[in-house]
Amino acid sequence: MEEQKPPAARKSRLIVRLGSFLVSHSAFVSVICCVAGCIALLLLPVLAKNTYVSENALMPGSANPMFSNQDVLEANRFVKDIYEKRILKDGSGMEIARLIGKHMEDVGAEVYYHKFKYRNLRFHPLCFFSSTPRTAVLQNSSACTLNGVSPVGIIRAPRGDGKESVVLVTPYNSENIKLNEALSLGLAYSVFSLLSRVVWLAKDIVWLAADSRYGEYTSVASWLKDYHNPTFSSDSGKIGIEMCFEKTENHVEDESSFDGAAYDDFKRAGTMAAALVVKVTDKERSERDRVDIYAEASNGQMPNLDLINIVHYLAVHRQGLHVRVGTFGFLLNSALLKHVGKTLQRLTRLAESLNPGWKLGVNSADFVEGTATLASSMYYQALGVPTGPHGAFRDFQIDAITMELSPRTSLTNDNGISSFLLRGGRLIEGVIRSVNNLLEKFHQSFFLYFLTAPNKFVSVGVYMIAFALLVAPLPMVAAALFSSTANARSLTAVSNSKPTNSKPVTRSGSWNWLHSAKLVFLVHLWALIVSLLPYFISQVPRTNSTTNMLSWSLSSLLILYLLTRLTKSYVEGYQWEVLKSVMIAAASIGLSLMSIINFSTAQVGSILLVPMCLMVRPLKQPIQVPFFPAALLKILNILLAVVAFPPASLAILKGCLRGFESINIGDFWEWSEFLWVWNSATYLFVALVHLPCWYLCVHILLHN
Amino acid sequence: MAGTRWYWPLVWAALAFRLFLVPFADNLNLGSRPEVATPLTSLRRLAEGYWLKQSSLSPYTGSMYHGSPLLLIILGPLTVKRIESQPAHLYCSLIFVLVDFFTAMLIRAIGEKLMLTNCNNLKLLKPSKLVESFGGVDAADIASLIYLWNPFTVVTCLGSCTSPIDNLMVVLAIYGACSRIVPLAAFGWVMATHFSLYPGILVIPVLLLLGYGPDAPPPKLFPQKHSNGDGSLVHVFSWGPILQFSLWVVIWSCYVLLLSSISLKGFDGLYDMLKKTLGFILTVEDLSPNIGVLWYFFAEVFEFFRGFFLIVFHVNILFMVCPLAIRLMHRPCFLAFVYITISATLKSYPSVGDAALYLSLLGLFANELAEMKFSFFLFCGYIGVSLLSPVMHNLWIWRGTGNANFYFATGLAYACLQTVLVVESVSTMLNHDRKLKKELKKT
Repeated sequence: MEEQKPPAARKSRLIVRLGSFLVSHSAFVSVICCVAGCIALLLLPVLAKNTYVSENALMPGSANPMFSNQDVLEANRFVKDIYEKRILKDGSGMEIARLIGKHMEDVGAEVYYHKFKYRNLRFHPLCFFSSTPRTAVLQNSSACTLNGVSPVGIIRAPRGDGKESVVLVTPYNSENIKLNEALSLGLAYSVFSLLSRVVWLAKDIVWLAADSRYGEYTSVASWLKDYHNPTFSSDSGKIGIEMCFEKTENHVEDESSFDGAAYDDFKRAGTMAAALVVKVTDKERSERDRVDIYAEASNGQMPNLDLINIVHYLAVHRQGLHVRVGTFGFLLNSALLKHVGKTLQRLTRLAESLNPGWKLGVNSADFVEGTATLASSMYYQALGVPTGPHGAFRDFQIDAITMELSPRTSLTNDNGISSFLLRGGRLIEGVIRSVNNLLEKFHQSFFLYFLTAPNKFVSVGVYMIAFALLVAPLPMVAAALFSSTANARSLTAVSNSKPTNSKPVTRSGSWNWLHSAKLVFLVHLWALIVSLLPYFISQVPRTNSTTNMLSWSLSSLLILYLLTRLTKSYVEGYQWEVLKSVMIAAASIGLSLMSIINFSTAQVGSILLVPMCLMVRPLKQPIQVPFFPAALLKILNILLAVVAFPPASLAILKGCLRGFESINIGDFWEWSEFLWVWNSATYLFVALVHLPCWYLCVHILLHN
Repeated sequence: MAGTRWYWPLVWAALAFRLFLVPFADNLNLGSRPEVATPLTSLRRLAEGYWLKQSSLSPYTGSMYHGSPLLLIILGPLTVKRIESQPAHLYCSLIFVLVDFFTAMLIRAIGEKLMLTNCNNLKLLKPSKLVESFGGVDAADIASLIYLWNPFTVVTCLGSCTSPIDNLMVVLAIYGACSRIVPLAAFGWVMATHFSLYPGILVIPVLLLLGYGPDAPPPKLFPQKHSNGDGSLVHVFSWGPILQFSLWVVIWSCYVLLLSSISLKGFDGLYDMLKKTLGFILTVEDLSPNIGVLWYFFAEVFEFFRGFFLIVFHVNILFMVCPLAIRLMHRPCFLAFVYITISATLKSYPSVGDAALYLSLLGLFANELAEMKFSFFLFCGYIGVSLLSPVMHNLWIWRGTGNANFYFATGLAYACLQTVLVVESVSTMLNHDRKLKKELKKT
């Protein structure tokens, strides 16, 4: 913020003059910047580049796949074995786990069974950004009720030193196994047995057949937590877990043949270079076998782009699979988007006809598809909730993706399935072989990117421009407001030098922002309390989301009322211009902070926040512009104040997508509950940056 | 004035706030933050040193502990005392709360001394008008409240590091010099230097304080008005307290060294202690990231340039000592503030505890610095950097998507902010003196 530049009249340095020029034309510059930012955001699909494998050591597809029809037969046999166990109603979960474990042992792997407790995800205010995964204090009463068992097999690499590993995860529901889950287990098993025979293996292979009875993410996350936090027998927490298993073990003891030793040891295989979550689905058919890639982890973190690149490269160029990433379907049919695409196409044609050297080549259909994919990529990053069990790996700095394979035929068609398994197996083998070649952890390619197609991406250097253009006016306008009030005050101070005001405005000069800062601080304090309230409200048993939401909003209003009453005498004597400039400063700090934590949230938030912050001014204050722009400004102000209120914006969004009759009071509660159980920073952004900023804007609007 | 009416409730509230947060100290995990605990001040390292000493090894074995052996004697036994289901360093945290309170009270006392002399001086200069216009705010209360409520201080107090004690010693030295209690000033100075070396440069402000008395308008102004009057307040450098001070410094240093050598009896002795404490500070051995600028630089620099750059960086602080002392000779307390800020910027293991100290000392000059430029910019900058720094650290260490440059960038921004703060406050202070002169000429 370059406030208080000396007047430009005096000859000063170029940068100072440039700064004061920008500040004096801040209104014009900020409109230009905002429009440019929005256009740049819209153009991102056009600016996307083709992906390329950046790390030379990966060498995808350089070796012939060894996965053969023999392995497919093995997989089919395994699938049948497992699928038959489904009929055993009681204790089928244990049976399947034991069967998988036995097969792992047969191929020569080290096997153990990982047991975990299902713990409901709950909001804990201290859990945000905790650097180490916290081992919460166990509540013994409820902790033991549920647990699952996941068999884990490790192949020791003949050429490795046991310090690195590649992880293969296949989630399956042990209580009610479906054919597709059995197929994914079979696929993983055949690859696993192949890998136990190969000679080129330099990294250990870990196969986790995750028991997803209580959710895929939970089991993988708890395995990872145990993997990275060794617990010793002296730890009190461990005793609790052990006792849990003792208790549950008693009633299955007669039929269980696990030996006690396999329970206690937790085998490890060094740091994980990468992890692949393999799933088989049967949701929608297409004319080719298909791979869907899910990559978004918590708080908008992405795996290294190279991992997606090799999967895409092998799937498309070696196995002839169709690769898809998440897309918003409703955007594909949007007439507006198609129109924009066509206009862009026309414009680029025009540009190319002017200068044939420019090869822009924007295609309308590509643009629409790219936008839909980009929107989905941005949405899932902004939400900050992982899109699959791979999200658990990212919290430990491990690059992981979920590959959802779906065959072109039905799952019962034997021929189709065999060829599908062959391709899938070769794909997995190829990816593992590539990762196996790695000498260091993934670092060559990007971590910060958006996908606009499976083979196209927008890197941080490009998408940052749109955000920077949007946010740049904030400090400028803050500086302009600040300097204008400083000048006005110095003028009035000259005209009547006697201190007439009886208020205790003793800190004259450059410190007068302190009064506004007090108010801004109070509002942020209020927002902090509001953001912590759900923790207490959710403790109350047997409530539904509507009553929770109502109690949340009522208690927030009550606290707001109390805070304003208690501190009434302290937050007087500010000018709205100064208040606005302090608010803008706070908002820009919040936005730039958020852009580092989770870029997409900041980008989406800034589209709402920036216009609101820039345009706000008291409704009762007359402005020296013609009637029409003034009225327009007022209407826009009111509109933005309504739309930017977080529950209102959620309701409007939901209404637009699903029809307005589906809106419910409890929606916002459910949404924020969803965010905080996943420790999403988006919740913090909404509560600590967006909400106070919105309140201050309304405060300024109603200022007289 | 709001400050005075609400002063004591605010003080008690600050202490209660700290006590409320003490049980959560382990959850907050501040002791492992590089911004809060440095290798010199970390209480975890102190506990390690104490453990080593208990098992009859030198506490400086390995490269864990680098603090004073005296702290080891005082705080060491408290680090091993535990209460079930309470944070590990509960007793130490309670002591730090108390230390913070003392520091705040001493800052208030300094402020009152300054205001008293300021009032006297202004009466002497121009009895009627100036006193009114510079009545201003109660700087003493504000400064102590800034110290108590500054988030940096709260974090330092809870972060299980020994910075509060270092700060107390520095404030003690200034207080002793202000109120001309020579043994106290010498004690504070010797202890502060013993703990963290950099307060050693405060000897100049302390000597000036003892010689000339607390801050006053420039001496040039006095002869104009009082050329014929009795020069009771006109500045004469008094050598008596200086001699006393040096005597006491010798006594206290010998005493401290004696105590250290007694406590380190049977180990390598004093030489090893000096090498592991002062040597550790001067040679910047620990290159783990902190909010300063030196760790990054010395991680990059070639080994054979290391000695040269070590000298350059440390002389950097010493270079500024003399010019500032000459220019700000009439305002020794402000000079002490400037020295503390500069050394906090350029020291080898800075932490937010240093910032907590100089920001509250800044509050002592609230009236003189009322016209300070860029105050809002500095405020936003401090907030921005202190929020950004943990995020960048998380991005680098835990997420692995950033790198060291991200974190160092915030350190660099922080150093720039401190530089701007020093430059602006010094220039505002000089302008203030000029304005005083102008107004005196007018009448």
